[in-house]
Amino acid sequence: MKGSLLAHAFGALARRRARSIALGGGLAFAVALVAAVLFLTESLRGEAERAHAAHPDIVVQKLVGGRPTTIPASERAKIADIPSVREVTPRVWGYIFLPALQGNVTVVGTPRGVPPISVANGALHSGRDLVPGEHEMIAGVDLAHFLGMLPGDELGLPSADPRAHAMKLVGTFKSSLDLWTADVILCDEDDARALLGLPDGDATDLAVTLANPAEARIVAGTIIERLPTARVIERDLLERVHHLSYGRRAGLVLGASIPAILALLVLAWDRASGIGADERREIAVLKAVGWSTSDVLWAKLFESILVGAGATALGLLLGYAWVFWLGAPGLRPALVGWSVLYPRASLTPVVDVAQLLGVTIAVLGPFVLLSVVPAWRAATADPLESMRS
Amino acid sequence: MTDARARAIGLLLLASPALVVATLTVDARARRAARRAEEPALAAVAVRLPSSDLALSGGARWLRAPSIEEPGAAFADGPALPDPDPAGGAMAPPLDVWSAAAERSRPAGSPARMLIEKGARSR
Repeated sequence: MKGSLLAHAFGALARRRARSIALGGGLAFAVALVAAVLFLTESLRGEAERAHAAHPDIVVQKLVGGRPTTIPASERAKIADIPSVREVTPRVWGYIFLPALQGNVTVVGTPRGVPPISVANGALHSGRDLVPGEHEMIAGVDLAHFLGMLPGDELGLPSADPRAHAMKLVGTFKSSLDLWTADVILCDEDDARALLGLPDGDATDLAVTLANPAEARIVAGTIIERLPTARVIERDLLERVHHLSYGRRAGLVLGASIPAILALLVLAWDRASGIGADERREIAVLKAVGWSTSDVLWAKLFESILVGAGATALGLLLGYAWVFWLGAPGLRPALVGWSVLYPRASLTPVVDVAQLLGVTIAVLGPFVLLSVVPAWRAATADPLESMRS
Repeated sequence: MTDARARAIGLLLLASPALVVATLTVDARARRAARRAEEPALAAVAVRLPSSDLALSGGARWLRAPSIEEPGAAFADGPALPDPDPAGGAMAPPLDVWSAAAERSRPAGSPARMLIEKGARSR
């Protein structure tokens, strides 16, 4: 019996094709927008956390006037003998504004002894690793392309320091690592120091690796005691930063979309609750030929469920395709930030069954519940009154 | 349209959310597996980078690595524009660590110690 009612409900939707498409299309668009923002946000959080493990357990900066400044590399001695500290590495890195790019690039000095990177281990798209002392650099594929450089070309980056040397591009990062390397220029520590104007013996910050990362909070407290002007950043706090950063951006995008979503939902509600003259006559005929109130109620409910289910499925599919198959055109700049060098790497979905089902139920549940009242009103209408009117 | 065909399409529409959820889950799982194959390359590069932050906002240096930039940095893309991502809002200073360290370094009964205790009570 229910199968026949379902078939009748589908037939009724097909007869009122324009209305069904308007209702379902509006709902599908709203679901697609919300789902796309959620998919993209979760994916960005996931990407940020993928490199989390490689980050040092503690980063120590020096604050002057509330802002980070360079820290004497000799300060490492005050940290190195803290129990549980395995290694303290002074790091040299910073930003250089490129007028040609109208944006900043991140110049990073490579300390000696780090594991090699190559085309073979998948880190480089082309070329080879740096040879210390040879004034060489590795850059992102897009950055190299933007600067019109090929491996073997030399580039003199703007710097007020006379020690700065023109550097030869010897490799480019693989484009799938763009999310981390799009604006990065990797060179040896001496070149980075000269480019950034960092005095010998100073470092941008100190990277602290612990034997037991669980002791980070205790070690951080000891570092503050020994270096009262230091700003200590624990790795665990980064996760919170990423959650807040992307959550806030998602909130802004969703907030800006609320008027559009509300307008669509109001339109959908209006279309769903309003019963036209044709529909009223159809219900009257059905009841006149023997349909019970329950049958009519089920048929009207099935109509709402069919539209809601189809639109939710379409919306989820569109949202997913928009973000992961098409690369989120139009949405990505609003969520990932503003940059001249835009990372093109595709994002990896983090969504699982529970989240997808959660979105489905959150949309379909209220939609079907809201349809009960108009369905009940239609089902209890007097057939004679309906036919006369 | 025959009744059987309408019924079949109706059932398909009813089941469509479940079908889409299953399809997307399988696709997401495949993409995650493909991405996992790149983990060694990322690990090799990541140890050379200053932070694990994504290279998303290179134009604004305080947004490039929000986790390690200056706390509470003033930010504006232009005069009177809203501040979409204040670094200080994202990363609070480790107040507990600082106040605990400060307490240990001040003698009991000193004005600085009393000030710290008053601040701790008000928090």
